[in-house]
Amino acid sequence: MTGNSGTSGTVVGIDVGGTFTDIAVLQDGRLTVHKLPSTPANPSEGVQRGIAEIDAGPAEYVHGSTVATNALLEGKGGRTALVTTLGFEDVLEIGRQSRSDLYDLNLERAPALAPWELRFGLPERVDYTGAILEDLTPQAIETLAALLQTAQVDGVAVSFLFSFLNPLHEERLLAALRRLPNPPFISISSQVIPEFREYERTSTVVVNSYVGPIMARYLAELEQSLGRGLRIMQSSGGSITARLAAEQPVRTILSGPAGGVVGAFHTGAQAGYPDIITLDMGGTSTDVSLCPGRIKETTSATLGGYPISVPMIEIHTVGAGGGSIARVDSGGALVVGPESAGADPGPACYGKGEAITVTDANLVLGRLRPAQFLGGRLALDKARAEAIIAGLAGQIGAGIQETALGIIRVVNANMERAIRTISLERGYDPRRFTLVPFGGAGPMHSCELAQELGIPRVLLPTHPGILSALGVAIADVVKDYSRTVMLRGGDIDRARLEEEFHGMEGQAREELGREGLPVERMTARRFLDVRYVGQSFELTIDYPALSRRADLRRSIANSFYQAHLQRFGYADRAEAVEIVNLRLKLELAMEKPSIEPQPLGPADASPALLEQAEVVFREGALPTALYQREGLVPGNRIEGPALILQLDTTIVAPPGWGGAVDPLGNLILEPLSERL
Amino acid sequence: MAVDPISLEVFKNMFISVSEEMGVALLRTAYSPNIKERRDFSCAIFDPAGQMVAQAAHQPVHLGAMPASVQAALDTFPGALRPGDMVILNDPYLGGTHLPDITLVAPVFVERDGAKELVGFVSNRGHHADVGGMTPGSLPLSTELYQEGLILPPVKLARGGRLNQEVVQLICRNSRTPEERRGDLAAQIASIRVGERRLQEVVERYGAADTLEHMAALLDYSERVTRQAIAHIPDGVYRVVDYMDDDGLTEEPVPIAVAITIDGDRMTIDFTGTSPQRPGCINAPQAVTVSASLYMVRCVVGDAAPANQGCLRPVSIITPRGTLVNPEPQRGVAGGNVETSQRITDVLLTAMAQALPELIPAASQGTMNNLLIGGHDLERNRPFVYYETIGGGMGARPGKDGISGIHTHMTNTMNTPIEALEFAFPLRLKRYALRRGSGGDGQHRGGDGLVRDVEFLSPARVTILSERRKFHPPGFHGGHHGHPGENVLLKGGYEEVHLAGKETLDVAAGDVLSIRTPGGGGWGRPEDKE
Repeated sequence: MTGNSGTSGTVVGIDVGGTFTDIAVLQDGRLTVHKLPSTPANPSEGVQRGIAEIDAGPAEYVHGSTVATNALLEGKGGRTALVTTLGFEDVLEIGRQSRSDLYDLNLERAPALAPWELRFGLPERVDYTGAILEDLTPQAIETLAALLQTAQVDGVAVSFLFSFLNPLHEERLLAALRRLPNPPFISISSQVIPEFREYERTSTVVVNSYVGPIMARYLAELEQSLGRGLRIMQSSGGSITARLAAEQPVRTILSGPAGGVVGAFHTGAQAGYPDIITLDMGGTSTDVSLCPGRIKETTSATLGGYPISVPMIEIHTVGAGGGSIARVDSGGALVVGPESAGADPGPACYGKGEAITVTDANLVLGRLRPAQFLGGRLALDKARAEAIIAGLAGQIGAGIQETALGIIRVVNANMERAIRTISLERGYDPRRFTLVPFGGAGPMHSCELAQELGIPRVLLPTHPGILSALGVAIADVVKDYSRTVMLRGGDIDRARLEEEFHGMEGQAREELGREGLPVERMTARRFLDVRYVGQSFELTIDYPALSRRADLRRSIANSFYQAHLQRFGYADRAEAVEIVNLRLKLELAMEKPSIEPQPLGPADASPALLEQAEVVFREGALPTALYQREGLVPGNRIEGPALILQLDTTIVAPPGWGGAVDPLGNLILEPLSERL
Repeated sequence: MAVDPISLEVFKNMFISVSEEMGVALLRTAYSPNIKERRDFSCAIFDPAGQMVAQAAHQPVHLGAMPASVQAALDTFPGALRPGDMVILNDPYLGGTHLPDITLVAPVFVERDGAKELVGFVSNRGHHADVGGMTPGSLPLSTELYQEGLILPPVKLARGGRLNQEVVQLICRNSRTPEERRGDLAAQIASIRVGERRLQEVVERYGAADTLEHMAALLDYSERVTRQAIAHIPDGVYRVVDYMDDDGLTEEPVPIAVAITIDGDRMTIDFTGTSPQRPGCINAPQAVTVSASLYMVRCVVGDAAPANQGCLRPVSIITPRGTLVNPEPQRGVAGGNVETSQRITDVLLTAMAQALPELIPAASQGTMNNLLIGGHDLERNRPFVYYETIGGGMGARPGKDGISGIHTHMTNTMNTPIEALEFAFPLRLKRYALRRGSGGDGQHRGGDGLVRDVEFLSPARVTILSERRKFHPPGFHGGHHGHPGENVLLKGGYEEVHLAGKETLDVAAGDVLSIRTPGGGGWGRPEDKE
């Protein structure tokens, strides 16, 4: 992989969405973008067609794939078996024994991805010190192999108790199963996530084996046509070679939203705003993520009811989008979502459905311009939207516009709650952040939402619609490794930790070297998951750098106390801490497009002015300037009320908000007075 | 700002989000596995009169009972709750439910025209793994309250923002695991401070008048939603009697009777005919009975109205004094909250099934299978107390099977991960599996119970509080009943000794305790299966 230098050559980022496939091409530090319809039936078809169209010459391709995500959410993975310690075959199904809703008598539990007839227990046992209490015998392995042969499975997941402390039995079984004729896709928990908590670990490795066969097929097909320079976006915001992604597809399961956050963070940082909150509002849901000068990761996420404990960008999703349905409930409150009209029948203004959606409200208020929506490709019926909203207005005893404003206010309140969850609940004050909206609907709501939360600034990137493709293209190559060690007191010593990390790093470099990655230029970053002794939530801190004088235990404790104070508002400095996991990241920094800052032009934006139109705000119907985004140049000033139209989104600048285009082409909007 | 359908929804979101944020703070900072891993805690906010306005969805058995805590704090300190004060209590006869559940209540004030104005209360409740008493875990087979542990009537834990450390010391000295208590109390305090600050921010943003007006409006709102739902239930009187196995002292079955009267948009729940209070520990303080009633009402009401006291306005609850569902002070209550509450819920739902056959599931496992283990950990040389409740079969629903191995009705605590448990305690899990075939057959099958086999690595004292060991969870409409549960001690790992549903015993290293939980009842006749 000689092209993978990280410093030159052409990089193509491909993000496949439900409707559009976006392509970002980075060539000599310049960015060009393309948009074409997706091919949901066979996603690789659309990707290959797009690549043929742009004809970028020899290039590296980075792909944000939803193949694994969709296989999981639609239940279309392979036939999957699970092998556990005898007596614990049902842990996967029992989960944490709790229910997702207290009062719902019709509750469903997501079906176990390995059904009970495909769950096998083997006699073996390791204890909490890693000591083997009961040996895994060759006879047991033989019996299992025969059962698996008859069961005709596509994938096998193996998760033994305490295998993260002693992987011997899992490895022994893996070696034996690999020798089977036509071996299925096999993954073992000590390789996928060697971390404690058996249910979450087992669930993760089962998801891996469930989506593995499909992902492997898809990537093989794609790699065949694209050549060896294919990388895949991971949920952590880093990319990895297609071959490694095929081994651990569970690490790619949220790669779509991850691309958007990487793109937004990069855009914000370049513009001088490294502390951002991203707002990706789509048709049915909104993703928000908080980046305090860095992209935050978590290892406890759930998708479709299945825990997945690999590193992921911390993204919070709320069921509020352009297609969210508004209704009056039996107590007389106006509720919006989480039900969505989706793309079909879609909002009332699409001409088919009867449901009133957020999009209809925006249309009725004049914030969405029918002629410009998706470049006019989809006709919107404003009269129909008004007629249907009139019914709802009658129910709540308000006017049509008042009702539409109410819908916006309620959906904004839902998104506000999501942002509070990722900011205030985690110890971050949103008033110190910049909001970066993208996705189709985000820029329409962002200023009003910022106002409610006291966020002082909204940054609208030049191309809000292709941020994900950009993020995918510029994502660093990253491979994450972890290991549960459970060390406290006198066990925490430099030599021991150095040895552990050294071992992990050696293995990591060997693995990545085999992938043809330039490991000599890859940097290793070390982290520790630390908690108060006996507690069960860990905080990740940097591993203290080597220094002769510093007391390792004290500097670990101090970093932890600081992190605890930030996160929870207090820290008990007398309390002892323990190290739960070691984490290692091997990274190859990729080139970022350096957009040349443009000299500031005139403040007067009138060359981009399209027309004046009436748009409804909380203050009433106001004459509002409509601008064409593509006509704006750095230095141009906009003052609300204004709409800025572009191909895939509309920016709403309400009264009291204004700002200018920065030298990089971003529009920065702020409240004009301290009226917040 | 007047209350309108839009502002109502906005405030609803805001109040729920305040209580959820309190929960996040408590969860993340708590110390014991019981609170952190199992999430045995709840948070809620209240109006200045002490009416519960919103709650985070935590443990149903706590939430209906927390208004009684706030009321007890108000009654104990009439007009004497000041900014920065915090009241702590666990007295089951003064705002509590059972002693391990320690509740904190704090008034929230804002500055207005130079004066401090009360705008509401915030409260949280956490289940502490040990507060003293006869047996580790403080849920003993007692005959009076005094045997169950430290009793805290409402006292001030903080005055004017200053924490009274002596109270904390008093509590910790009364626990077998003092360090854990200290950590969990600190977390509860931190959570109260978060709730206080957030509620003050709501007032700063919208003003006190609007905030108070919307608190009232939300109570009215939940009342309207509930009335509408009740109005859809056919009028009539629906009567049911079911039995608890025993009170742990004698073999005598303990009846719980209810008559639910639906009259238009009003509901009367009358427990007349229920067993007199028992000498054993299964008496349920009235707050527990109210919790179970609120839970049932909330399940029957489809729309997502906040579970607040407005839901109870159209509901009258009659609990004759001196009965199991409203005992006289000083009676033992350890099992009332965790076991009797489940049977109260069973009779309430069974009665509603007569009116709403197409909505109500068959009986679920009807117990929490409380398991408490304590002693001295020989390997780690420290005392330990471990508390777990174990899921079982959910009753089959009209239209679908019941879920297997899950907590139902009044609890929703998580299990302790096996690897976390073995890191922390001198215990080893031998088996954790579904108890196949234990769910009742039917057109739709009841969910299966669980089997959890625990080996002891140090000698220990064990208390089991469980139900449905004699009387099975009934099936509905021709569905078969679920299998009753079983508690078995395997002495030395093999010699089977069958245990009662409620039992305290000493075990030796090498013994294995096998808890086998009940299956859910089936729904409809098996021959009608598609």
